[in-house]
Amino acid sequence: MLDKFSLAILLSAVGVLVIVLELVRQRKLEEGYSLLWLAAGFLLVALPLSRRALDQVAGLFGVAYPPSVLFLVGFMAITLLLLYFSTVITRLNRQNREAAQRLGLLQWRIRELEKKLEEIADR
Amino acid sequence: MTGKTFLGRLLVVIPAYNEEASLGRVIANVRQSAPEADVLVINDGSTDRTAEVAETAGARVITLPFNLGIGAAMQTGFLFARDFGYDFAVQVDGDGQHDPREIPDILAPVVAGEADVAAGARYIEDRGYITPGLRRFGIVLLATAISIITRRRVTDPTSGFRASNRKAICFCALHYPSDYPEPESVVLFRQARLKMIEVPVTMNPRYGGQSSITPFRSFYYMVKVFLAILIGLLRRAPRAQEVLDAR
Repeated sequence: MLDKFSLAILLSAVGVLVIVLELVRQRKLEEGYSLLWLAAGFLLVALPLSRRALDQVAGLFGVAYPPSVLFLVGFMAITLLLLYFSTVITRLNRQNREAAQRLGLLQWRIRELEKKLEEIADR
Repeated sequence: MTGKTFLGRLLVVIPAYNEEASLGRVIANVRQSAPEADVLVINDGSTDRTAEVAETAGARVITLPFNLGIGAAMQTGFLFARDFGYDFAVQVDGDGQHDPREIPDILAPVVAGEADVAAGARYIEDRGYITPGLRRFGIVLLATAISIITRRRVTDPTSGFRASNRKAICFCALHYPSDYPEPESVVLFRQARLKMIEVPVTMNPRYGGQSSITPFRSFYYMVKVFLAILIGLLRRAPRAQEVLDAR
């Protein structure tokens, strides 16, 4: 039988899973980015359902009250997600910078070409 | 690239972010001191009349769509120099801090092949430039750390008044750090086996406009630069020769 705490985590995790899947379905979230969310969600659904697994993990980390393992899993998932997002932001930042540099260089070239064209047209 | 047919050998790059107050004078001085040079202003997403001022003063202007920071702006200049086949590039700040009359001084050793990069340094000789105490302390700290790391004496690693040869241009086009680039690039040059020397110069207070330096930014600057340098030492450094060969 589930205690209230585990039940609350279970329901929240189901909620998160539904939202994530719906966002992917609507193409508001890419499959690749949803994987970490889904993995965390499944863990938070599976652990409360299997008291034995939860107890084992709790024993592994020396946790006296097994349901607080769910906190640990949630916290680790969020930390991983944030770290992952930091790397994504870094990559986007670099790509953004390179695109902006190329845009500036290309605009200059276009303007030079237009000037040359005008010179030719004026002849 | 067909640029070589209508562009020269020497490019002076002036990165500028909201420098309408001083830029006109800087460009005029550059054109007077280095009449053979093409002057390129990288307008780094300015919200004032920087682009118009630069064009009126006779510079080529590349406008970035938004503010990228001094390093990325400077790198745009190196990309331009690389793509259009310039042999030498000189970078000058847009705020009037660097005296364009000294361009020949920093350019000479690079043209003579004595170094790949020559940086104008404030502190080799005492020329009466007064730096506020805390900033001076920060620069000495950086200079000492970088001198130890590179095993070369560096006195002014924050100087953005530099001349580069073709090899250094191609290297910087690919590997120039994005923000607060100067001290980090000194270490990068060393790792890439590019030879950098310092040339004594005089620096002026800025002509006008606003400095971007605040106490918090200075602190962030020091921490960021030290972190970048230390982590940079753990990477396999890009070699300048590989950059040239890759092209």
